[in-house]
Amino acid sequence: MHIVDGALAVPVLAVGAALTVAGVAIGLKKMDYDHLPQVGVLSAVFFIASYIHLPIGFSSVHLILNGLIGLALGWAAFPALLVALFLQAVFFGFGGFLVLGVNTVNIALPAVMVYYLCGMGISSSSPKVAAIWGAIGGAGSIVITTVLVAFSLMLSGEAFLLAAKITFVAHIPVMIVEGFVTAAAVLLIRKVKPEFLNIKERCDAV
Amino acid sequence: MRFKLIAALCLSLLSLGVAAHNVVGGVYAIGDQIEGEVGFSNGDMATPGTVVNVTDRQGNELARLETDDEGGFTYTATQRIDHLFYANLSSGHILELTLPADELPDSLAAVGSVEVTVDKVAVPSVSTTPIATDRQGLEQMIERAVAKQVVPLRKEIAAYKEKSSLQDIMGGIGYIFGLCGLGIWWRQRQLDKQQTG
Repeated sequence: MHIVDGALAVPVLAVGAALTVAGVAIGLKKMDYDHLPQVGVLSAVFFIASYIHLPIGFSSVHLILNGLIGLALGWAAFPALLVALFLQAVFFGFGGFLVLGVNTVNIALPAVMVYYLCGMGISSSSPKVAAIWGAIGGAGSIVITTVLVAFSLMLSGEAFLLAAKITFVAHIPVMIVEGFVTAAAVLLIRKVKPEFLNIKERCDAV
Repeated sequence: MRFKLIAALCLSLLSLGVAAHNVVGGVYAIGDQIEGEVGFSNGDMATPGTVVNVTDRQGNELARLETDDEGGFTYTATQRIDHLFYANLSSGHILELTLPADELPDSLAAVGSVEVTVDKVAVPSVSTTPIATDRQGLEQMIERAVAKQVVPLRKEIAAYKEKSSLQDIMGGIGYIFGLCGLGIWWRQRQLDKQQTG
């Protein structure tokens, strides 16, 4: 999921950086500052999640969790993920500094999209419906991310379909795992701490 | 047909192979043989048949290699120049490795410095005695023997460097929480200002 330095063309890097700046600005503006600790915790969760490899068969995958982060944070996912990605580049060498903008957009934009697409769903009064929407959000964010990764590679000269196919197939296990994890997380948070997913605010808005 | 088979094989291998890990690799010289390997930080090696381009500093292609079953490749250097290795493992995973010229044996001719090569050829030609050739052979043998001992160590160091420790993880979390604290402090200050103002 982390594109490394040197894989992308300069215009792609520039557009990615510009979009990230815009996203972070919107995120900081829209962020409810009483939720700042929550933003920090989820940023830390993302930072760690990429480091923990879950064994699947003869290989391993790691969670990305941008769906869950999007559902919880909305636009604030941009600053949260930017910080986490930056620190991952510093400490683990994941990705790189030049591609930081592109990587942030590729991971944070799906998070924001999931926030708008599935936000109502997870606020449903039926836990079953909420869990299903959570799963859709978890898996869907990975799908959108793979498409965005393939798109960034295409703009830099790689064949889109091939890149998309390879990235997509590679992440099918991640999608399944993320779907389950996000659904379970949504169910748990709904019971224990519904304000974490802004469920009350959403209901009030309706 | 064959291409389809290879493509299918690549896809099935990739399906579990490239799930967002770091690309790691290394190149090591043993005499004039350059050995390298490409893989992912979780221990998976590159798909067999991954193309590795060898170029010089100016970007001229010297060779096009393919990785073997263990993600390794070998190249026999013919010139004492910097060798650049480039591998694209798809999905934005690329790897660039450099083997500096000074890791290659002196016996290989340096390119772009004709005078030097002439000098080098001239010196032995003055004293083309059996001792001189023996000496050259011996030097090569020693170089090769030392490289054989050192390469595994260098591989281990490279692997060690890739490994992040608990300190890195704690450090990262610390930074995130610190940033949050900063944000909360700033927020609080603004609220205080509003109240007093």
